[in-house]
Amino acid sequence: MNADPALELSGAGVRRYTRRATATRADTSWLTLGGDVLSALTTAAVVVAVFGGAFASLRERIAARPATGSTVLPGELTALAAAVLVTAAVVALLSRLGPVSATPATAAWWLPLPAGRRGLLRGELGKTGLVGVVAAVTVALPVVLAAPQVPSVPEVAVTVAGAGLLALAVVGGLVVLQASGRTGWVAPVTGGLATAVVVVPAVGGTLVDAWDWVPAAPDVPLPLLLGVPAVLAVAALLAADRVTGRLPAGALRERGAAVFVASASALSLDTRELGRALGTPVHPPRRQRRWSWVRQPWQAVVAADLAVLARSPWRWGQLAIGAALPVLAARTSGLGEVPALVAVAVVLGWGLAAVALGEPSRRAHGSPAADRALPLGSRELVRARTVVPLVGLVLLCGVSAGAVGLGWEWVVLGMVTAPAWAGAAVRGGYRPELDWSGPVLSSPVGAVPTGVGATLVRGPDLGVLGTVPLVVALLLGEVPQLLLAIALAVSAGLCAISVETAQRRKD
Amino acid sequence: MAKTGLLEVHDLSVGYGGEPVCAPVTVSVQAGTALGVIGPNGAGKSTVLQTVVGLLPALAGTVQLEGRDVDEREAGFRRAVATVLDDDAFFPSLTGAEHLLLTARGHGVTDAEQAVAEEIEEFGLTERAHALPSALSSGQRRRLALAAAFVRPARLLVLDEPERRLDAQMRRRLAARIAEDVADGLTVVFASHDPEFLSTVARRVLVVDDDECTVVSPKVAVAALHEG
Repeated sequence: MNADPALELSGAGVRRYTRRATATRADTSWLTLGGDVLSALTTAAVVVAVFGGAFASLRERIAARPATGSTVLPGELTALAAAVLVTAAVVALLSRLGPVSATPATAAWWLPLPAGRRGLLRGELGKTGLVGVVAAVTVALPVVLAAPQVPSVPEVAVTVAGAGLLALAVVGGLVVLQASGRTGWVAPVTGGLATAVVVVPAVGGTLVDAWDWVPAAPDVPLPLLLGVPAVLAVAALLAADRVTGRLPAGALRERGAAVFVASASALSLDTRELGRALGTPVHPPRRQRRWSWVRQPWQAVVAADLAVLARSPWRWGQLAIGAALPVLAARTSGLGEVPALVAVAVVLGWGLAAVALGEPSRRAHGSPAADRALPLGSRELVRARTVVPLVGLVLLCGVSAGAVGLGWEWVVLGMVTAPAWAGAAVRGGYRPELDWSGPVLSSPVGAVPTGVGATLVRGPDLGVLGTVPLVVALLLGEVPQLLLAIALAVSAGLCAISVETAQRRKD
Repeated sequence: MAKTGLLEVHDLSVGYGGEPVCAPVTVSVQAGTALGVIGPNGAGKSTVLQTVVGLLPALAGTVQLEGRDVDEREAGFRRAVATVLDDDAFFPSLTGAEHLLLTARGHGVTDAEQAVAEEIEEFGLTERAHALPSALSSGQRRRLALAAAFVRPARLLVLDEPERRLDAQMRRRLAARIAEDVADGLTVVFASHDPEFLSTVARRVLVVDDDECTVVSPKVAVAALHEG
């Protein structure tokens, strides 16, 4: 067989060949594509307008309320913390997925070719950059629209453009790190940063009487405000493009497989599998556990659950954020005066904590073989699996609620609300899969099975119900004794319902 | 003085997360010969092959092709080495023939369409050449992946259980084809559980194990496979 290196397809040639062959069978015309893009842009514009209006209305309501002594943190600080939190999560996600990766087909058919890898992966680099820009705009837009002072249109435009450019710089930097095999530290550092930006202001706002520092945009000319991120973005992308040729095929294939599973899970609305695909690996134990205290089968379940959580440091960050988020809202000027907003933060924070403590249930549901080896019935097993979330959430909700309301009665209210969230953790973990074999509904995101909403909220639904007495206390501004008794009864009842109705996989 | 092989593997330790999955491997493969690799399930055969072709980093030791450390990021290495490992991935919108044409043109084959037509016939895919991968059976997809390794020039061919998902007739044809190519100067390293395939193709066999990785004759290896 004769071959001439001069006749070999270049990276761009390989991409062009594949694109053209694909295009001959595509049933989408340029007209359809243009219509879809226009539709997406219109939807985005409507969303921006709705959010802008909602934030303007909220700003007026907040301004009309008298300030309370317990809100010491400026709104700008909390907005910055929220932006850093979401940005850190996106950066951690990008580092987990590459950021540059190769689909299984690309890894099998493109990467073994002699074509320069730099040319082969240029399209992938572009797509990753676009994802970064979309994520940055999605984060920046609500933050700037929700700013305490009404932002002008140029301020909104500059903030969004600056965020997009900084996102490109971050993506470029991550690719350079990926090529040198040094992305291992990114997820732990960004996770630590995300935890710190929520916990530090929450603790500081609770302990101090006044907070002096207010973050503000740098007072520099517009060209500089956009010019610096633009220069950084161009430099980082050029550096990234130069190093993509050094990315090893094995790593590209491995990251591509994770992207593939995550995409398939997202498309099939399987949030549990999505979490598994994107989750950080469990750390191997430094020393073997002996579990000498385990005497009964249910104790073995508790021991295993404790081991799973202890070896997943990511969960500890989630728990800290979950506890601090309601406190941050309660201490923030503007948010703290509106009980409904604090209640939303309580649900988000405690829901996050319940998800973290529901990890053993999700794992057990995915791989039930170990549970089957135990001499426990289905119900006894789920009851045993509730022990760790219950103990963890009683402590977490007690501390969190105590810091929100600044009183022992609030600590007790948090503790009696915890069983509902413990039940939610287990109920969510043992949630049945969506039934795609039954009837489906047409939706803006494609066909979805009937009952999709009920399945996806299974778990947090009862947690939210159990939080109603706490919301009442927030509205009243105090915790009557009767409310404590009602909260305990409601929470215990919901926990019992969750545990008794949690379904274990039959196969 | 011992003759230097096309592929030189010295004290190669392979595994994941710093943990080796088998004993270190040392073997020299001369040009124009075939080395079989056997071992029980989970022994580390696939890990050894993936490390040899640079898809996994070695924990320790060296792998050299024609006197140079293997680096799959080098275009020269990719020109020299064809692999069929555990990949069963295809572009959903490209036909089988288009996949092969992409490989042939990507490697600068002068008469790419002729080469593709020959391999399609050789692997019994003539009737299904213009079908999309989703319309192919598991065995046909396997044949397509194998055909891609022969539609391009290579000095070293690395195969992981090539007999997998093939019928008996196709197995025999493939073994005869590889033996013929080896006689023409191709170097082959392949893992297999099939005694007939092994005895037809291999000149020597690497036995992968936890305690020690040894090189034996095909006769000894086939006897070991029969013993299970």
